Amino acid sequence: MIYAIYVLIGISVLFALAGVVGMLRMPDSFCRMQSSTNISTFGVLGVILGGILYVLFVFETPDIAMAVKLAVLGVFYIITNPISGHAIAKAAYRRGLRPEKEMTCDKYGEDLENAD
Amino acid sequence: MSIFTGGASAQILIAGALVSAITALFSARFFIHEKAFFLFNPVRFVIWVFYCLIIFMWELTKANVDVALRAFGFKKINPGIVKIETDLKSEYAQSMLANSITLTPGTITMDIAEAGDKTYYYIHWIDVATSDIKEASDGIKGTMEKWIRRIWE
Repeated sequence: MIYAIYVLIGISVLFALAGVVGMLRMPDSFCRMQSSTNISTFGVLGVILGGILYVLFVFETPDIAMAVKLAVLGVFYIITNPISGHAIAKAAYRRGLRPEKEMTCDKYGEDLENAD
Repeated sequence: MSIFTGGASAQILIAGALVSAITALFSARFFIHEKAFFLFNPVRFVIWVFYCLIIFMWELTKANVDVALRAFGFKKINPGIVKIETDLKSEYAQSMLANSITLTPGTITMDIAEAGDKTYYYIHWIDVATSDIKEASDGIKGTMEKWIRRIWE
């Protein structure tokens, strides 16, 4: 069981690393946000799943309260994360933030101009 | 509340229930416009769990690997904002689809607009394959919309 936990946490560390590298390499803020979603989904879920298995199977007396706590943490993380992502992206765009390099297509900008 | 205190004594549970009830009382009229007891139907609940654990996890895995490859530079990025359409009616279904799209790496829902009987999402997409509404809708929603319709409608 301990090796399964190693694998889970290893995957999660790998994706967290990918997220951080992406945040440094991506050209503009919106793409950086896309990359940070990597950390907040697999980066967190793997660690939480590994933690649940650890407290259930590796401890001498399984700590069920801790496992439930971790599961609830994971659920709340997944519920609240996209809302903040959406709010930040929309606020950044409405505030006038645009990538330096022209985007391939920008339907939102076109429709905002037509509405004014 | 018992998450923070680490216990489940009667005192803690009653305090938690009171605080939740007061919060719900104040926030309900902003958030709940439709019948709110959909998920108490056991069939819907089973489909919901299946969607979260299998369908959505599969989409999440594909997108995570894709964005991780782009972050390390094995694939090029091609960012842009596209418009997609959906014909989901229920507000719960619409917000669940929007949140599923945002949670998938590579796509972020930026705004929702309603026109006629269709609902449109503006989505920042890291790899714009097409700017056509129909094709972009198929590419981004994948199988998620079909399952969300089974849960909520």
